[in-house]
Amino acid sequence: MNPALTGVLADGGVTTGEAVTFWILAPIALAGAIGMVLLRNAVHSALSLVLTMLSLGVFYVLQAGPFIGMVQIIVYTGAIMMLFLFVIMLVGRNTRDSLIEVLRGQRVAAILLGIGFAMLLGTGLARGIGSIPAVGLAEANVNGNVEGIAKLLFTRYIFAFEVTSALLITAAVGAMILAHVEKKPGEKMDQKVLSRARFEKGNYPGPKAGPGVFATSDSVATPALLPDGTFTERSVSKVVPARELTIAEARPKAVNGSKEYGAIK
Amino acid sequence: MNDIQLPPIDYAALLPMLIVFGLACVGILAEAFVPRKHRFAVQATLTLAALIAGLVTVIINRDLEVTTIGGAVTIDGAGLFLQGIILVLGIVAFGLIAERRLERGGAFVANAAHAADSDGDKKQLNEAGATEIFPLTLFAIAGMMLFCVSGDLLTMFVALEVFSLPLYLMCGLARRRRLLSQESALKYFLLGAFASAFFLYGVALIYGYAGSVQLVAIKQSVLDSDKSGVLLAAGLALLAIGLLFKAAAVPFHVWTPDVYQGAPTPITALMAACVKAAAFGGLLRVFNVAFETTSWDWRPVITAVAMATMIVGSILAVTQTDIKRLLAYSSIANAGYLLVGVVSLGGAVGSSMFYLVAYGFSVLAAFGMVTLVRDADGEATHLSRWAGLGKGSPLFSAMFTIIMLGFAGIPLTSGFSSKFALFSSAWDANQSALVIVGVLSSVVLAFPYLKVVVLLWLNPPGDETPTVSVPGYLTRAVVGVGVLATIVLGVAPSWLLDMVNSAGTFLAK
Repeated sequence: MNPALTGVLADGGVTTGEAVTFWILAPIALAGAIGMVLLRNAVHSALSLVLTMLSLGVFYVLQAGPFIGMVQIIVYTGAIMMLFLFVIMLVGRNTRDSLIEVLRGQRVAAILLGIGFAMLLGTGLARGIGSIPAVGLAEANVNGNVEGIAKLLFTRYIFAFEVTSALLITAAVGAMILAHVEKKPGEKMDQKVLSRARFEKGNYPGPKAGPGVFATSDSVATPALLPDGTFTERSVSKVVPARELTIAEARPKAVNGSKEYGAIK
Repeated sequence: MNDIQLPPIDYAALLPMLIVFGLACVGILAEAFVPRKHRFAVQATLTLAALIAGLVTVIINRDLEVTTIGGAVTIDGAGLFLQGIILVLGIVAFGLIAERRLERGGAFVANAAHAADSDGDKKQLNEAGATEIFPLTLFAIAGMMLFCVSGDLLTMFVALEVFSLPLYLMCGLARRRRLLSQESALKYFLLGAFASAFFLYGVALIYGYAGSVQLVAIKQSVLDSDKSGVLLAAGLALLAIGLLFKAAAVPFHVWTPDVYQGAPTPITALMAACVKAAAFGGLLRVFNVAFETTSWDWRPVITAVAMATMIVGSILAVTQTDIKRLLAYSSIANAGYLLVGVVSLGGAVGSSMFYLVAYGFSVLAAFGMVTLVRDADGEATHLSRWAGLGKGSPLFSAMFTIIMLGFAGIPLTSGFSSKFALFSSAWDANQSALVIVGVLSSVVLAFPYLKVVVLLWLNPPGDETPTVSVPGYLTRAVVGVGVLATIVLGVAPSWLLDMVNSAGTFLAK
C-alpha cells in the first residue's frame, strides 16, 4: 500500500500527518471515554462513547488498518451505538443517578485503584514497547489490508470464525427469551373481539380523556379532568408512575392568575 | 487472491464438538418448528443424544494426537480427557436440568419476559418451563469442549465467550425467587464481561511480545524473543485474571456466592461441575504449553493466589448459613486446591483431572439433593431448615452425609483419594508450602461440612422442617450416580488414576 495514502512508513516510523492527527484525536478520545463515565445523562454518555469510537476508527485507519477502521465506524458507531441510543430513548432517560454508596468508600477506592492500574499498565507499556521498532506491517498488507484479514479469517481462524455464529445464535435466542412474551392461542384478540368488549355493558365506549392537554400542564403524568372537575386516573398510562415523577413534576403547572397550586414564586 | 488456501482440517478430531454444536443448532430450529406440547420431549432427547454422541466420539478418538486447522485446535490426551469429563458431567447435570417432577414445569421460568411478581408472572407459575434451556446448555458445553483444546488464545477467547453467554442467560431463568436470579445473572454478566476485557488485553500484550497468539509459538518466543519481558509479564498477568475469574479464585471470586445462590440449582450444578472442569482445563493448557518455561515469573503469584483461595474459601465457608452459599464457598476453596495442581505443572496434570472428576460428581449430587429439600416456596436452602432431616428422611440424610464426608476428605471417599493424589504430586513438584496450606485449609473446611452432618442427624426436627420430595427418576439417577462415584473413586481409584496418568499430557508442538 502506498505510504503516502496510509501515512505509515514501512519501517514503522511515524509521519508528521499521523502524529498531528494522533495528538488532536487522542485527547478527544480520552475526553469522550471519561465523559462517558462521568456524565449523568445516559444520552450524553452514549454520545461521548460515540466520540471515542469515531476517534478510534480514525486511529485504525491511520495505522494502515482501513478495514477495521471502517468497520469500527460503520458497525460500532453507526449501527450498535445508534441502536443503543434508540433503546435509551425508548426506555426513557432518567437523568437522576443513585448517589447512595452501598459499600462505604467504594467510589474513592475504585477511582484510586483505576488510576493506579492505568499508571501501572501505562508505564509498563512505555517501557515494554518504547524501544521496539514496528515490523511486519508491509508483509501483512502486501495484497491490501482487506485481503490480509480475509486470509487470516478464512485460514487459521476459520474455526473461531465459524464458532462465533454460536455466539450470535445464543445472543439472539437470549434477547428473545428475555424480551418476548409468547401469546397463548386464546390470548390474541382480533378486531371483532375487541369491539365486542368495547361495547359491552358497563364499559364506556367513547375515547378516553387525554392527559396533559390542559393549559396548566403538558405532562403525560397529569391526569385529565372530567366534566365535574375531578381527575380521571384512567387517562394516565399505567407505565407512567413507573418513572417515579416527583409530586412537583406531576402536579399541574401554575399559569398566570392561578393561585390554586401556588407554584409561582 | 489465489494464495488463500484452507489449512487441512481433521474433521474426525473435531467431530465431538461439531456434533454438539450442530445438534444445538438443530435444537434452536426445533424450538421454532416443533409444536409446544412435544417440544420438551424432543429437546430433551436431542440434548441427551448430542451429549452421548459427543462422548462416544471422544472415546473413539481417545488415542488421537493431532494439531489441526493450522494450529487453532490441538487434540491431545489431556484435551480429550477433559472433553470427556465435561460431557460425562454434562450428561449427569442434564438429569437435573430436565427434571420436571419435583416442581410443576421444572426449575425454569416459562416466560422470562414477564416482570417478576407481575400479573403475568403469577399466571405462569404452573406453566411448563422454557425449553430454550436445552440448546443453550448444548452451546455452553460445546464452548467448554473447545476451550479445553484451543491451540491459540483467540480461539480460546471465542470459546470462553461461547460457553459464558448461555450461562449468563440461564442464571436469570429461575422459576422461583426471580429477582434474586436476575440479579445473579446481571452480576455474572457484568463481571464476566469485565474479566473478558482483561483476557483480551492480555492476549494483545502477549501478541506484542511473541508476535503470535498460538500457545506453541508463545513458548518458542519465550526462548528466543528479544522483546522486553515487561510485555510478557503484563500480558500473562491480564490473561491470568481472565482465566482465574472463570475458575473463581480469590480475589476474583466475589461473584461466586451470589451467582451460585441466585441461579436455578440445576444451572448452579452445571457451573460447579462443568465450568470448573473447563476453566481448569484452559488454565492447565495455557500454563503447561505456553508458559511452562517462564514458570519462575508466574509461579510466586499463582502460588499466592492459590493460598489465598484455599484460605479465604475455607474460612468463609465456616460462616455460611445457606447451603447453596456454603457449597459456593466450598467450590472456591476447591478452586484453590486445583490451582495447586496448576502451579505444580507437568506431573500434576493427571491428578488435577482426577480431582475434577471426583469433585464434579460429588458437587452434582450435592446440588441435586439441594433441589429435593422443599417447602411451599420452593427450595428451602437455609441451613436452619435442614435441622433434623435425618429423622424423617434417613436415606436422603445418609446420602448427603456421604457427600459431605467426601467433600471433607474422609478416607474411603473420592474427596480423600483426589486430594491425596493432588497433594502428593504437588509434593513431588517441590510445592511443599502449598501442600501444607492445602492440608490445613481442608481441616478448616471439614468443619462446615461436619456441621451440616450434625445438623441433619443430631438436631431435633422443628415444626418448620421441610419435606424431602420424592425425587423424580432423573434426580434420583443423578444423586445415585454422584454418591456411587464418590464411594467408588474413594475405594477403588486406581483405574481412573491410571487413565488420567496415561492421558495426562498436553501436546506442545
